[in-house]
Amino acid sequence: MKHTSLGEWLLYGAICAYLLLIYLLPSQAWLGFTINALIVTILSVAWNLLGGFGGQMSFGHAALFGTGAYVTAILQVKLGVNPWLAAGLAVVAATLVAGFIGALSFRYGLRGSYFALVTLAFAEVLRILASSFAFTGGGQGILVPYKAGLANFQFADRITTYTLVLVMVAVAMLITVAVQRSRFGAYLIAIRENEEAAKALGIDTFRTKVLAMMLSGAIGGAAGVAYLQTYLFIDAPIAYGSTMSIEALLGPIIGGAGTIWGPVVGTLSLHLLGEGAKHLVSGAPGLNLVLYGVLLLVILRYLPDGIVGFARGIGRTGQAAAVSVKEAQ
Amino acid sequence: MSHNDSKSFTLSRRNLLKAGAATAFAGTIAAPTVLRAQAATIKVGVLEPLTGNLAYNGTQARAGAQFAIDAINAAGGIKSMGGAKLEAVVADAQSRPDVAAAAVDTLAQAGVVAFIGCQASALGLASSQAAARYNLAQVFDVGTAEQVVERGLKNVFRFTPGVNKCTSTALDNLKLLNQNAGNVVKTAAIVYEDGPFGSNMAKLLNERLPQIGIQVVESIGHPTPQRDFTNIVLRLKAAKPDMIIPSNYINEYTLFAMGLRQQRLEAKAIYSILGGAASNIKFVREHNEAAQYVMDCNHWYDPRKPESQALAKTAAAAKLDMTYDIMVAYACIQLIADSLERSASNDREKMIEALSTSTYSGSIMPYGPTKFVNGNNEAAQPVNTQIRGEKIELVFPKEYATAEAVFPIPARG
Repeated sequence: MKHTSLGEWLLYGAICAYLLLIYLLPSQAWLGFTINALIVTILSVAWNLLGGFGGQMSFGHAALFGTGAYVTAILQVKLGVNPWLAAGLAVVAATLVAGFIGALSFRYGLRGSYFALVTLAFAEVLRILASSFAFTGGGQGILVPYKAGLANFQFADRITTYTLVLVMVAVAMLITVAVQRSRFGAYLIAIRENEEAAKALGIDTFRTKVLAMMLSGAIGGAAGVAYLQTYLFIDAPIAYGSTMSIEALLGPIIGGAGTIWGPVVGTLSLHLLGEGAKHLVSGAPGLNLVLYGVLLLVILRYLPDGIVGFARGIGRTGQAAAVSVKEAQ
Repeated sequence: MSHNDSKSFTLSRRNLLKAGAATAFAGTIAAPTVLRAQAATIKVGVLEPLTGNLAYNGTQARAGAQFAIDAINAAGGIKSMGGAKLEAVVADAQSRPDVAAAAVDTLAQAGVVAFIGCQASALGLASSQAAARYNLAQVFDVGTAEQVVERGLKNVFRFTPGVNKCTSTALDNLKLLNQNAGNVVKTAAIVYEDGPFGSNMAKLLNERLPQIGIQVVESIGHPTPQRDFTNIVLRLKAAKPDMIIPSNYINEYTLFAMGLRQQRLEAKAIYSILGGAASNIKFVREHNEAAQYVMDCNHWYDPRKPESQALAKTAAAAKLDMTYDIMVAYACIQLIADSLERSASNDREKMIEALSTSTYSGSIMPYGPTKFVNGNNEAAQPVNTQIRGEKIELVFPKEYATAEAVFPIPARG
């Protein structure tokens, strides 16, 4: 069993303190910023389940995010379905899309960079399709009319939106914990470490990977729903563009792929870094992105195990370190 | 350090403290007087895509807004508010709708009375929806999608024309030009970028051109970016259209126009609606031969107005190309200043009221008195421009024209 080090306690404590501080701060700007960061966090948690635990590096998680957002939008705007029901159906749709992409890719044994390219291609195909058909709003996208109310899944009070998104992040993390502690999670990690060996031990690798993809799809779809209900607008470049796919994987990689807190720590840190850089060089737009990029490179260079991996090494007790070494052996 | 030095330092420090205390005291007494004498500052938001793929348009628009604010402040500020000065609060939409929406929080928190933005419909749709929560007015500089004004949002004010108005005006003008030239143009080819802007325009033109007696013989889409237009130009050479309608962004437009010249493809007209480079002086300057006689129907200012001429000089002094982004952003700030003048208040609700009832006609744009219906300025109109020599001339409507339209294009050999 792993012991949580002092560094980890401090890191998670700081994250929780920041998230609680939002309730006390009257700043709408920070509230809006954190809501946005948390929506991306949900998608990062989805990616981490497949990429971090399962070792299947997807470059097209926007396909799942976009499907969640588009299906909710189409159902409620074009077909008049109740937004809550539409949200549920959107999650199902994203799960099915993920299952389809996963089944098709894994059926033909695609791994590593080939799997990454195929997922990227799926997202691109969906982007072009979404910008071509009238029922997806074509190039104009779909705009959800602003009608605040619980029944409409829209909240005039932004703190309620924040709470909802925060709960979604917590649920996504709990799902990850449940997966990690389950037999299914063990199979998934085994596949990540050595797929051939896992197969030799009798693990149905195809089934495990497709299931992981579907679970990831459900969470990614939920992120799309949260995005749509927050910003009330979706178009093809946002939904299926590469920006979302990159954001989905950056957080876990920076935070610590294959850890429970990695995507949360990574995504929030990256967004805070971006915002900090913006404030630091507010007079020169674009310079913040340069600074952001440089800092990102520094993190990647000096923290190969992500921020969580770095924190794990701080204040580690002798016993914990010994256990860890034993685990490693 | 010598003893004397130390002494003099102590003395001067004491003196400094004394002076500081005296100043603080005097400041306390005099502060109300100073506050009364100094007019308050009114914050106006400028939400533009300063980075990302729309960065060029965004930075130009930001400059235009700042030029307007400087001009208004230099002319005495908002007189009904005791000469209050305008102050720009700039936010970067990063060419992303979610960032644009999030930036509205920053603007609202900074206390802006209204804001202008965002050079693209997708950005404006998201930002205005976010601004509705704060009852904060957004004056659209460019937001041609009709969805912008179809949502019933009370805080939306699109000052410039939408795509329907631009298309109908462009086709009416084209019909008139063609009739005057003896209907020489009978066929057209559309070359469009396959994104939202180009594909929607191509669809609209395919429906509407036959109604004015022009048959579409080719409709060719291409992605953005696209760097080689040779095949497209060769296809056009085979189709032999009388008129070519490019509907794409600045780089592709420029490369396509160069391709037409390189392949010596002669057309009777090159006609654009909201064309990417057709009203851009950079295109005229850098690819002068290819740019000749290209006609566009787009946002443009009234070049005859003294304020327009002053703006052109300011832009030139700042070494900026005079593009429509600068013009529309400038005009939007003028509109906000006029509304502030009438409402004499920093209150957001009153700003929305003042904009709703605006009949302003003093902007640099060739518009009549403003009339907002569901947030759409019914008085807004695009104009036809044509590249002639080193200049972009306004050729339609006649009352604003600086040159006669040349239609069809004379044979260039």
